[in-house]
Amino acid sequence: MKAYNLIKEIMKTLKNIRTILIMSFGFIVYSQQTPAPLQKEVLTITGATAHIGNGEIIQNSIITFENGKLVAVADATTSKIPLRGTIIDASEKHVYPGFIAPNTTLGLVEIDAVRPSRDLDELGQFIPNIRSLIAYNAESRVVESLRPNGVLIAQTTPRGGIISGTSSIVQLDAWNWEDAAIKVDDGIHLNWPESYVQGRWWLGESSAEKPNKKYQEELESITSFIVNSKTYGKSTPETINESYKAMQGLFRGEQKMFIHANGEKEMIDAVSILKNNGIDNLVLVGAYEAHKITDYLKQHHVPVLIQRVHTTPEGDDDDYDLPYKLAKLLVEEGVLVALQSSGQMSRMNTRNLPFYAGQVVGQGMDKEKALQLITENPAKILGIDNSYGTLEVGKSATLFISEGDALDMMSNQLIKAFIDGREISLETHQTELWKRYTNKYSNK
Amino acid sequence: MVKNGKIEKIGKNLASGNLLTIDATGKHLTTGIIDEHSHIAATSINEGGQNSSAEVTIEDVLDPEDINIYRNLAGGVTAIQILHGSANPIGGRSAIIKPRWGADAKGLLYKDAPKFIKFALGENVKQSNWQSYSRFPQTRMGVEQLYVNYFTRAKEYEVKKLSGKPYRYDLEMEVLVEILNKERFISCHSYVQSEINMLMKVAERFNFRINTFTHILEGYKVADKMREHGVGGSTFSDWWAYKYEVKDAIPYNASIMAAAGVTVAINSDDAEMSRRLNQEAAKSIKYGGMSEEEAWKMVTLNPAKLLHLDDKVGSIKVGKDADLVLWSDHPLSVYAIAEKTLIEGAVYFDIEKDKLQRAAIKEEKNKLIKLMRDDKR
Repeated sequence: MKAYNLIKEIMKTLKNIRTILIMSFGFIVYSQQTPAPLQKEVLTITGATAHIGNGEIIQNSIITFENGKLVAVADATTSKIPLRGTIIDASEKHVYPGFIAPNTTLGLVEIDAVRPSRDLDELGQFIPNIRSLIAYNAESRVVESLRPNGVLIAQTTPRGGIISGTSSIVQLDAWNWEDAAIKVDDGIHLNWPESYVQGRWWLGESSAEKPNKKYQEELESITSFIVNSKTYGKSTPETINESYKAMQGLFRGEQKMFIHANGEKEMIDAVSILKNNGIDNLVLVGAYEAHKITDYLKQHHVPVLIQRVHTTPEGDDDDYDLPYKLAKLLVEEGVLVALQSSGQMSRMNTRNLPFYAGQVVGQGMDKEKALQLITENPAKILGIDNSYGTLEVGKSATLFISEGDALDMMSNQLIKAFIDGREISLETHQTELWKRYTNKYSNK
Repeated sequence: MVKNGKIEKIGKNLASGNLLTIDATGKHLTTGIIDEHSHIAATSINEGGQNSSAEVTIEDVLDPEDINIYRNLAGGVTAIQILHGSANPIGGRSAIIKPRWGADAKGLLYKDAPKFIKFALGENVKQSNWQSYSRFPQTRMGVEQLYVNYFTRAKEYEVKKLSGKPYRYDLEMEVLVEILNKERFISCHSYVQSEINMLMKVAERFNFRINTFTHILEGYKVADKMREHGVGGSTFSDWWAYKYEVKDAIPYNASIMAAAGVTVAINSDDAEMSRRLNQEAAKSIKYGGMSEEEAWKMVTLNPAKLLHLDDKVGSIKVGKDADLVLWSDHPLSVYAIAEKTLIEGAVYFDIEKDKLQRAAIKEEKNKLIKLMRDDKR
């Protein structure tokens, strides 16, 4: 009987492998959009309402870019700038800087339920040396699906463990991860433990929250890893330790530490422990209770990648619209905030980033200020604001033209998009299927 | 003008006598949003121990204290089908509710609602995404045979029941017989075109029709066949890529199905999305260029049609239930906020009242914390 079961198991495994092979083949029969070549000719966009990304707006703008860089951004009604190169008339239309999506898992998973397509979460608790960039699939169909909504830049981030690994910043139109990278190994991601945990109801405990008895112990293990890393950096070790080595950019201030934490206590514990141990360049991610400690965050210059706007409140007695307005509450207090999309179905939802900003407008925030939450602010937080995030002379020509207000799904309709001056395709696997089946019915 | 929970008159200057007047100057008034597919307000969703669970009903497990009822009201939702999960090809029966926050479980139920049951196809019923190899069916081929078997048994059961001979009462069979006799409608979780087509053929073979394909992310591939069968599509606006079976899901699905003549609704399946279904409907304006009017119907009149409730709800019309929402802005805009939600003329959500309640909760919390602190001393 046992042997029979074993054979059955082996058969199952073989069957699974066969299924996997069939599925992998399914992935390669379709082609991705071809990345655009370098900008060759000068381009000038005229007449558009330009949303600069820093809170400003130019109603009748003239925008020129050459060799991938913006060389003129001006008000056509007040300044006389010569029209150079090919002219794109965008009267009645809107121009925005490419939206920036921090803390995504783009390119690391193609289909959640298909394990062979998942490269997200490596084994181990303290693995800062794990790098997302080399697994980033520049040809992911999920990645290309973001572009028609205006999302052109993203941080690709590993998950899991306590220190999950190192993220990188990529632009979303590339042949491979090397071409995609705009900032390599920008930050290290730390998942802070929770001081309260849910009871293990499956073991008969109450499902109510209770103090996490191991919290202190977990903080000590984090502290000791950081202290060891720091000590390692100051010594000349006989054997290389890749984990400790990967932490050194943090102490030199060249990399940022992204702390994933939500509770008031957790956030304060994290910031104080890290600062006390020589890591000053901090960003909070999630930060559900950040609005309760705004003075503390300002005092320590800690910016926030706030919990996804489209989530349900964590507590039954929280305001029903709390996730909608968290960003606004922080901006009002002078904290630097950007929006992000992690959570349920995070990759495919990242294309909704502009609408998260729109939702914040519904809470009473100025539209151009809300736009900053997905342009200038994430550029600053990710440290790419020298080149990206706003439409300013000298910066990259990473921008798009939309028929209407890009923060509202009723009017977000891209006509053209550029990354570093390259005019990228707005077609996707999805638009191809749309056209194919629309034709099927219209030819009937 | 609203009287006794119904819309009595529509027009200008109707005020006469003792009417309570709501000033809605500068606001948008619409009918309430209807969610064809939700799992809120229930203590249990799946009876997945077997491949058919027609004997169970969500009506038995309604949870009137689920805060998502209130949050749905704050999103302008006034009618919801709470469906069984998708653990098995033949699932459990639905509960259709109105989110009357404060009512008990019975008080939530939509009075005399048509009867519905959940069916499901694909990866979930095959149990493909977790280590489970022992429950039939494991393939889409098996799913077809399961339906054929069950409906064949149901027919035999009915013949015996009507023959006058003694028979053993079987609740599960009773429910399936209701389906065969067109007294109970099916809302079927579905993704890929092959299985959608298959279930329509099985239904036709047993001389009934599928009422709604829910999720139906590849509906656009068989929209002509769906129209012919007379089945509606209740879909997600833009979800995809979470399972292999949704790799070809496209946000243009609703637009293509609607253009092909299928009655299309946008559903939530999710307590977060259900409170902003207006935005989800608006995405079809972006994806596929649907008109505003058609997009709005996808979360009001069309789900009402799919639930066979369009004579009572789904639009602002004299004689229909006064399920109304007052919006701060164009209801399809991301900027719109529901300020008042009425169910049958009664105000169930009021943004001003909500502000007062927030203050009350804050005060109560402070009191409790103080008590706990004093107690510790």
